[in-house]
Amino acid sequence: MKAWPNLFRLLAAASAVAVLGSCTEKLDSSGVCAVLCPPLGGTVQNITIDAVALDTSVQALSGLGAETRLLLATRGDTLDARIILRFDTLPSTYREGTDTAKIITLVDSAILRLRLDTLSIKGGDPVTIEAYDVDTTANDTSTAAVLALFRPDRLIASLSYARSALTDTIDYPLPNAHVLAKAQTGQRLRIGLRAVSIGSSQISFFSEESGLPTRLRFRVSADTVIPPYTLTPFSKTPVDDAIVRNNLDDYTVFARRPPEGSPIDLEVGGIPPRRAVFGFDIPSSIIDSSTIIRATLLLNQIPYPLLDPTDTVFVLPQLSLAGAAVTDPVKVAQITTGLGIDTVKVRPGDAGVVLIELANAFPVWKQLKLADTPRFIVLRSRDEGISPLQVRFHSLEAAPALRPRLRISFTNDVPLGLP
Amino acid sequence: MLRAFYAAIMLLAAAIPAAAQGALSVQGLGFPPGQVSTRAEGSGGSTADFDPLTPINPAAIASVGITSLFLQYAPEFRRVTAGSATASTTTARFPMFGAVMPMGGTWTAGFSASTFLDRSFETRSERQEPVGAPEDIVTVTERLRVLGAINDLRLAMSWAGSPKLRLGAGAHLFTGRNRVTLDELYSDSVRNANSTQSSLVSYTGFAGSVGLSFHPSRVIGFAVSARKGGELRASSGDTARATANVPDRISAGITYEGITGATLSGRVSRESWSSLEDLSGSAGAFDGWDFSVGAEASGPRIMQRIVTLRAGARRRTLPFGFNGEEVSETAFMGGFGLPLARNRATLDFAAQRATRSASGDVDERGIILSFGLRVSP
Repeated sequence: MKAWPNLFRLLAAASAVAVLGSCTEKLDSSGVCAVLCPPLGGTVQNITIDAVALDTSVQALSGLGAETRLLLATRGDTLDARIILRFDTLPSTYREGTDTAKIITLVDSAILRLRLDTLSIKGGDPVTIEAYDVDTTANDTSTAAVLALFRPDRLIASLSYARSALTDTIDYPLPNAHVLAKAQTGQRLRIGLRAVSIGSSQISFFSEESGLPTRLRFRVSADTVIPPYTLTPFSKTPVDDAIVRNNLDDYTVFARRPPEGSPIDLEVGGIPPRRAVFGFDIPSSIIDSSTIIRATLLLNQIPYPLLDPTDTVFVLPQLSLAGAAVTDPVKVAQITTGLGIDTVKVRPGDAGVVLIELANAFPVWKQLKLADTPRFIVLRSRDEGISPLQVRFHSLEAAPALRPRLRISFTNDVPLGLP
Repeated sequence: MLRAFYAAIMLLAAAIPAAAQGALSVQGLGFPPGQVSTRAEGSGGSTADFDPLTPINPAAIASVGITSLFLQYAPEFRRVTAGSATASTTTARFPMFGAVMPMGGTWTAGFSASTFLDRSFETRSERQEPVGAPEDIVTVTERLRVLGAINDLRLAMSWAGSPKLRLGAGAHLFTGRNRVTLDELYSDSVRNANSTQSSLVSYTGFAGSVGLSFHPSRVIGFAVSARKGGELRASSGDTARATANVPDRISAGITYEGITGATLSGRVSRESWSSLEDLSGSAGAFDGWDFSVGAEASGPRIMQRIVTLRAGARRRTLPFGFNGEEVSETAFMGGFGLPLARNRATLDFAAQRATRSASGDVDERGIILSFGLRVSP
């Protein structure tokens, strides 16, 4: 009879193991699905439709000087980009001991400390950076007036740099006498930088918009106890527009740049940067009653070989959340959000079809009422305002075979619930 | 060899118009655990019409004698075989709990909640689809997950006017829901968006039951019970999806206690599952018989307690078919009951080996362990 307690102990132990083992359910019976699990989901339907109802290219940034990089380039007949730095509030006094208003009579070690985006450097030849006095009373946004001041009698400094000297920080010396004269007379110090090279050269400096502005640094006393002045660009004009005034602290002007494309072409990137805006008219049956697996915007690229045709432009598709009240495409292109997808790599010199994946936009469109939020997609360059590269596409104005189209892969919703 | 295997699978799949959900027992609205207590399950379910803890015969609750609370846990370890392919699953169920309370000398009230149909399964399959350009073939993984059950909430009253006769009646509320989630996962998630659809179906139905148990002598007893089903409605939110009727049932049982220390029992039941046809989809619903026989005997004394040993067998038709044909189940059970705390509690255990089969080369075997605890506070 002693066997019974042992048997029950064994049974109890086995039961405990079974109970513990069953705590975690395992419901997956996929092993027999070849026989027992018919597909439930609908067949994927692929259609290509003329869903683009509107397309256009618009200016990407809010205006002159809004870019995060300052481009300094000399690329032969293709590109000549120059930089304007405004220091409109030079001090005329400094503090020495208890004297807080000592008149500046000396300027020493005047430099521009430029922050270089070393990844932007193109060309291996030495580059000479010339500095000009570009102060003028002409219209603030007139680039022609400023460009006219890059002349020999306005040249105030010139310095050559070997490629190896182009590091992340460049201290560019300015004539002390020039800075002193401006400070003593209360004039504005507005400096234009121009690149000169025997070959092709292109570099970018961080602008004030990037948070790493160029700084003007100079001493006003031989006494090293007195700290040097360090100024960031500051424009006092135009007085009636604070936004433009802030943008013009530092900016890029173009003495020469690649010709603009045809007005009917769609442009992404470039200088000044452009964005392409697409408005879609998609059958509501697809948006409302289907599950979008993939949606691809098919664009036909126009070769643009003038500037680095084999380099890469990273095209970033974005979803515009502009409401129906926003009718200006420029503003539509500004009110955007990410789609959570990778950039599309496009080479400016290539031709053919470029695929832009948009599937992630559809769940958002499904949630938003069309009457409230029109369906817009914006293509911009990832390096907008940084890189001068541009890619171009055919628009709705092109021949039918070259127009933008939308290829959608979708499944119809399956009735679920009952067996 | 691998090619031959896939060919065999494809032939098998072609031969059987698949309308299944990964296992034979979870067709249609799901698997019926049986609504029998662990004690009755140990003897094949043959004492179900006499067992006060089994919510089948409302007259039976009068035999409880003392206020009792009870709870049951019954995990199932299932193995499905289709050709040379197999799948093993584990389903954890708490198929029953309830309380029975004598009210004076002749009346007894009881409440129970039991799983009527358990619909819990998950399947995952793959297929190839052209997505985008015609030459762009993408693998789609389809994952279907269904969780939920229809439960039977019963409120019963029983009258025991004499030691020989007990009568009872019960009101049943059938309620529950199924949450169905279908995921379609596409390879290359950078370009393709996965899709998820889900649905929640709620069920509401009513039924009434009556029963009696009659013991003309000390050694023999008879019990009969019946359930009349009302409308069972399936709805999603405020929208009615479909309606059917809760299945009618009639059952009868007999016990013989002419052998000292032992009870022999048998039971037969007929359940009109076809009334669920409108909710069962392509699986089809079939009226089914349920036969069981069993024995219960006093066993060894362990820790000063007499252990009750049980054994039984059962054959029944499952409510929902496969490939348009019935699925039958044959099960053999054994178990024991161990009194605890000076008989104020009982721990019952039963183990069941069930075999389910249908037409075609598909078989299913399940081991169901059942743990029942009755406590009299």
